[in-house]
Amino acid sequence: MIQFIVRRTLQAIPVIFLISVVSFVLMQQAPGGPQAAFNQNPHISPEQVDAWLRRWCLERNPDLLGTVREYLGWLGAYNCTGGGFVSDHGLPNFLPAFLGGGTNGVIHGDFGFSVVSGRPVLELILERLPATFILMGTAFVIWVTIAVVVGVLAAVKRYSFFDQAVTFIGYVLYSLPTFWLGLILIFIFGVELHLLPTQGIIAVRTSPAPFGTPQFWTAFAAKPLPLIQDIAGHLILPVVTLVAVSIAADSRFVRSAMLDTLSQDYVRTARAKGLPPRSVIFKHAFRNALLPILTNVALEIAFLFSGAIVTETIFSWPGMGRLYFEGVSGRDYFLLMGILLIGSLLVVVFNIIADVLYAVADPRIRY
Amino acid sequence: MTEELAGAIGSGPPGPDVLLEVRGLRTHFHVMDGTVPAVDGVDFRILRGRTLGVVGESGCGKSVTALTIMRLIDTPPGEIVAGEIWFDGRDLLRLSDEEMRKVRGNDIAMIFQEPMTSLNPVFTIGDQIAEAVRLHKRVSQREALNRAIETLSLVGIPLPERRVRQYPHEMSGGMRQRVMIAMALSCDPKLLIADEPTTALDVTIQAQILELIKEIQQRTGTALLLITHDLGVVAETVQDVAVMYAGKVVERGKVDQVLLDPKHPYTEGLLTSIPSHVARGQRLNVIKGTVPNPFRMPTGCRFEPRCPYAFEPCRSFEPPLELPYPASAADAGRLAACWRHVAADRRPGPSATSHVGFAVSQRIGS
Amino acid sequence: MATDGQAAAPVAAAADRGADSDVEVALESLGQWQLAWRRFKRHRLAMAGLAIFLLMIVVAIVGPIVAPYNPLNIPNSKIPGGEPPSLTHLFGTDDVGRDVFTMVINGARISLAIGGFSMLIAGFVGVAVGAISGYAGGIVDNVLMRVVDVLFAIPFLFVILVAARFFGQGQVIPLVLIFGLLSWPLIARLVRAQYLSLREADFVEAARAVGVGNMRITFRHILPNALGPVIVAMTLIMAGNIVLEAFVSFLNFGISPDQISWGNALSNAQPALSLGNWWWAFFPGMAIALTVIAINFVGDGLRDALDPRSHL
Repeated sequence: MIQFIVRRTLQAIPVIFLISVVSFVLMQQAPGGPQAAFNQNPHISPEQVDAWLRRWCLERNPDLLGTVREYLGWLGAYNCTGGGFVSDHGLPNFLPAFLGGGTNGVIHGDFGFSVVSGRPVLELILERLPATFILMGTAFVIWVTIAVVVGVLAAVKRYSFFDQAVTFIGYVLYSLPTFWLGLILIFIFGVELHLLPTQGIIAVRTSPAPFGTPQFWTAFAAKPLPLIQDIAGHLILPVVTLVAVSIAADSRFVRSAMLDTLSQDYVRTARAKGLPPRSVIFKHAFRNALLPILTNVALEIAFLFSGAIVTETIFSWPGMGRLYFEGVSGRDYFLLMGILLIGSLLVVVFNIIADVLYAVADPRIRY
Repeated sequence: MTEELAGAIGSGPPGPDVLLEVRGLRTHFHVMDGTVPAVDGVDFRILRGRTLGVVGESGCGKSVTALTIMRLIDTPPGEIVAGEIWFDGRDLLRLSDEEMRKVRGNDIAMIFQEPMTSLNPVFTIGDQIAEAVRLHKRVSQREALNRAIETLSLVGIPLPERRVRQYPHEMSGGMRQRVMIAMALSCDPKLLIADEPTTALDVTIQAQILELIKEIQQRTGTALLLITHDLGVVAETVQDVAVMYAGKVVERGKVDQVLLDPKHPYTEGLLTSIPSHVARGQRLNVIKGTVPNPFRMPTGCRFEPRCPYAFEPCRSFEPPLELPYPASAADAGRLAACWRHVAADRRPGPSATSHVGFAVSQRIGS
Repeated sequence: MATDGQAAAPVAAAADRGADSDVEVALESLGQWQLAWRRFKRHRLAMAGLAIFLLMIVVAIVGPIVAPYNPLNIPNSKIPGGEPPSLTHLFGTDDVGRDVFTMVINGARISLAIGGFSMLIAGFVGVAVGAISGYAGGIVDNVLMRVVDVLFAIPFLFVILVAARFFGQGQVIPLVLIFGLLSWPLIARLVRAQYLSLREADFVEAARAVGVGNMRITFRHILPNALGPVIVAMTLIMAGNIVLEAFVSFLNFGISPDQISWGNALSNAQPALSLGNWWWAFFPGMAIALTVIAINFVGDGLRDALDPRSHL
């Protein structure tokens, strides 16, 4: 098992590397960027710009080799303020700092800074993560629960009115553009009925400070209940939107997995033993259908981190999805690279977790 | 005994010697392209402790018959359209689902064709056998596991104490089929249904498993319904035989009656197409043509398009399943559905306008 | 399940459950595609979807010619905008008085073109790459599949940004190319997976046994069998890309505002909601939803018709 995990991790490194290289190059090619941001600011002198650029290993007009240096600088294998591949301690720069390596680049935990806000990327991400986890976590738990129940029932009652209704509604929900659904919900429940808050995670009058800031958490620790209540109210519309558009694919998946196992010979054997439908469905069939479902769920968790760009944008939810959208709009390269890298790492990690879960749940698989 | 075997198809429960009597059974499947009458008029009976072989080509409705007896037909697309299944004095088709569950696995147990896929891969062998025992016999998990070990050694599995903790994928196909048999026997059933139990196994294992089934049948005295496409298996394993063609029983009787002196041309065709029956150098006899399209069954005898003896009434009228005419003493208890073996004066002539067996493809209530 | 030579063309119509192994049916002389069409016709939702989809295509082609108003022409500024739906303006007007009905009709052209053409690109590239990957195996397969992995992971907003620099922002053809480029990996994976599973199939072994070459096996024996799932996946891609176009236009990375697509119409409508002018956003969104639902139902029907073993 350990060997398997190590092997899978090693296999993932080239893919992550490739993703980061391609993304880096793509961003290089995109219009705008840090220099454009600096150039527009009359308060920054060219010397200051040069110092900044060197600090972050960026060049004014990089050629191919320059791009490679920039990338390696971002990665942490190259040190632009010092001796290139060699750190200040005279050792290879990519080594961990305590072994005499450098301190710059993502492999040393330095994700760079946000061009737009001027703050460290990691700080921004950590500030936004809780909001995304609250939104995506709530929505995910709800849609997976409903999807499993509905999918299993639809498979058991295949071709029934219920099954057909679920299929029909599922297709309709699946086909709705997220942003349109969000706008309509805002219109109905916010603008017309004034029932629910439509923007943000917490009302300004409830919270002493913006969500995610240290002041907010201090206030939260002192008196959490009213804050939780307010957040819950703000959660309803974005969660409904996310659940509506996500549920169809998962319930379809569960239904399909259940149909596959329900048609297996061992289910017939279980029925031939005289087991009641309850045991046949939940013990014999569902226990086997759980294997693909677990894998699917584990993979979905990996994507929860990146948040929901559209939903968060429409509802002004201060999460990762909106951070990413802001990054794209502002050509905030280090921020985007940071989000992308952490996202890819999570996908890899959860892929491995999915495989391990599969092995735990299925006695046939031994690594 | 032989009179009992043939019996007259009447109403009400059959006599106490009869363990299972299937009357006029019809199971149809409603699929996208129409209705498939997979089982379309099946009649047979099994006496207590005796063995019946149901034989026929793939697609003739043997397996559906077995699943119908167990009431394991998925509805939809399947539907048991008509018939009675008298088992131990009760009509299984009239039992509630719950009553039927008490019969399944307890009074009637079934062994399937595919040992590789018929066991649940995520539970141990012991759990799977004990599950049925606990369900039907109301014993503790420990007692049920002991029973599992006991039946595993009964079917000749070495080191059963170890095997109960193993998963199906750790065993070979032959071993798994032994496990299936052990599972079927775990509740001492009155009837054991074996649906092509050896078809998926290696030839060398096939003989062992058949021998095991035969031996266990004799030792426990359970009745056996063996479904197979292999007349050789029938000849070696069972006492009585029913031959099925296109959803119907076309001939039945004791094994020596049917196999030594077939009355139905289809049985005859099956027998002469076995290579060992043909002398060296002689051409192997084959049944010409193919099984009829189930959406367009022939209106008369279903075998008529392929039958070398077909004559006037065969095209339009279904032959009744009855004692072949003329019958000798040796024919006692056997039945065949062929106009050639119906007395000439009872055959429908060209002038006859009533369509005797025409209601077949109609759905009869249910 | 028991299948021997007796049934000439066993159609697994009813045989998707263990119980009906005996009802495999010989349907004589009906071609694969005729059979599929017959099955498709029986899927009522799919037929309704097909009708709506064809209607949308007709609208996209002739709609702009017969549309009552010029979609971009801002009428006499003295007429106030934001009229609710009426007989003169079926779907109402936007804040500057443009007819929403005309916008929806004109938007069909770009939205459907982007969805349709990107689907075709994805289909061609995906089938080609998948077949090459499956056929060549080894290092070629490995490299191509890593490319697929990377393309799956690259965030498409980046790609659109970069493309905008080279092709100019908001043009239709670059968007079609990008969407096609981002969609083909799905098809490639599907074709390759089919290849891997069919490589061991009996009919392929039989072809190999009689000396059919690898190339011919790939393109004559395996590809036609993989076509069903590919066609179904292509409908999903088309539906997905129509939504994607609306989505990127909505985020202002898509079609430039001087052209009319459904996404653009919807994007323009965002402020309308707070004004209470629901029709302005509702109808373009409805057009997207209706088209996508129709395509998805067609896909569902195709799945039943072409890929009967799949439950998805």
